[in-house]
Amino acid sequence: MNVLFSGQIMVVSKDAIVIQAIPIGGGMLPQNRTERLIQNITGVGKTVPILFVTPIGIGEIIQPVPVNFSMGIPVENWRSILGSIPLKGNIGHFPTNESSHEVVIGASLADQYNWTVGTNITIRGHRLEITGILDTKIGLLNRCIVMPLKLAQVLYTYPDSVNIITIRPLQGLSQEDLADTIEQQVDNVRALTEDERNDMIQPVLAQVETWNIGIQTVIFLMSLILVMTVTIMSVSERRRDFATLDAMGAPLSYVFRVVIFETSLIGVLGGILGIVFGSLAALVLASLYTNIPLAMFFPTFYEIIPPFYMLEIFLAVVFVCCLGGIIPAINATRMRIAEVLRAEY
Amino acid sequence: MEIKTVDLTKTYRLGPSEITAVNKVNFEVNEAKLIAIVGPSGSGKSTLLNLVGLNDYPTSGKIFIDDADASLLSSSKRRKIRLFRMGFVFQTFNLLPTLTALENVELPMSLADKPQKEQREKAVRLLETVGLGKRLFHRPKELSMGEMQRVAIARALANEPEIIIADEPTGELDSKTAKEIIALLFDINRKEKTAVIVATHDEKIVDVADTIYTIQDGRLRLES
Repeated sequence: MNVLFSGQIMVVSKDAIVIQAIPIGGGMLPQNRTERLIQNITGVGKTVPILFVTPIGIGEIIQPVPVNFSMGIPVENWRSILGSIPLKGNIGHFPTNESSHEVVIGASLADQYNWTVGTNITIRGHRLEITGILDTKIGLLNRCIVMPLKLAQVLYTYPDSVNIITIRPLQGLSQEDLADTIEQQVDNVRALTEDERNDMIQPVLAQVETWNIGIQTVIFLMSLILVMTVTIMSVSERRRDFATLDAMGAPLSYVFRVVIFETSLIGVLGGILGIVFGSLAALVLASLYTNIPLAMFFPTFYEIIPPFYMLEIFLAVVFVCCLGGIIPAINATRMRIAEVLRAEY
Repeated sequence: MEIKTVDLTKTYRLGPSEITAVNKVNFEVNEAKLIAIVGPSGSGKSTLLNLVGLNDYPTSGKIFIDDADASLLSSSKRRKIRLFRMGFVFQTFNLLPTLTALENVELPMSLADKPQKEQREKAVRLLETVGLGKRLFHRPKELSMGEMQRVAIARALANEPEIIIADEPTGELDSKTAKEIIALLFDINRKEKTAVIVATHDEKIVDVADTIYTIQDGRLRLES
């Protein structure tokens, strides 16, 4: 579950708001003091201070949903945070010294703004040089500008401040024990183990799931009622036809199948059109809310909306339509020519 | 096919009052005759035909089909009789609007699970018989009233019924077309040896009918 900081304790300010491994608000930590206090604790291995900032605010673009991030990491610690993520095409290099103006960026950002290795960009009045593009499928890093920690602190005016310090426990020591010790010995910090970070996301995921089920139920019921109403009207308009079939001796199952076939056909057509237009609408909305150009979503279309989900939705729509056709189909089998003609004259 | 009714009665409730549409009717069809039931609107003609055609249930009295009490027949058996042994012609034709003339005639054969090839050949032959050989692929809205009624007659003949029940078959037609339809029903009766019961107030049918009944206030009376 942890994409970032796997196997590490994450120390944040006590009032920081953290979603999984991302601090989205709250206080900062004084870098030097906190790092020094932590390093004095027995069992603490490597520590890495990180400044995580969102959004980066490129140009004058308004972003209702923050999708761009900046991460400041000490240059000697690239690998302990980014792991073995290579640079795209093995072109370029990671920033080499702490005071440089070199940055590496995510591939999605590079595609969106047509940035390449060697491009100079300006953020908050500072001229930065792109020295590499990260070749990763991690969504967060795809939308991230990774830069030396010192540069990030200057750029975003957080001198000697970070919002995360990651700690790798020495071998043999559990994350839980070390985290407890850190919280006891360092004031105003929270030390989150990998499990705690996962636990923090669970209520959010559970709430999303509850909403998801609720919305699906409402959509299911509305679709069912809609299909049923439309089909009841359609059957009612053709009551003479169904009554004629009855007079001719058509088996009840035949009349029933005719109606169910019609509603399932509506389901097939509605399912196909719904998936096409629904997917497009989802991409357009995502594009509008994130300012990421629509075209950029197409190469990863099947990752955003996997074919299995499309099939699932298609089958669900056909099922709902068949279900919605049952009552009208039963009505159709009850049409009698004597009653229909009597009603007409 | 022999149809016999004994004291057949059908009443409807219309608000507080009760209307007797068919009142103790005793009636018999046992030969391939052309029978006319004549009466004004609301006299009970259609109700009687619906009862005889097993499309409705009597309030009291009995209908016997080949000596079997129809009230004891299951819904499925009644359907089978309608499908295989009876043909229906309605005043308003009741063709399915989305089907072509050919498909409308094929429909009863399709319901009877006849082979597709046989359905097509027979439907073409029947439509040619009723003079619509060149209108096979026209939909009802592309046909005249007379043509629609011809298609309906061809459809009624599709499963080679023993009896055709026609409810006001000329009611919607002009007098020339009505004459042609009457001639067609007469031909079917004579050539196919199919009994035809026609409910009408058209005097032209009276001229060719073998037996004439009149109906007034639900009471049936043999005229000739």
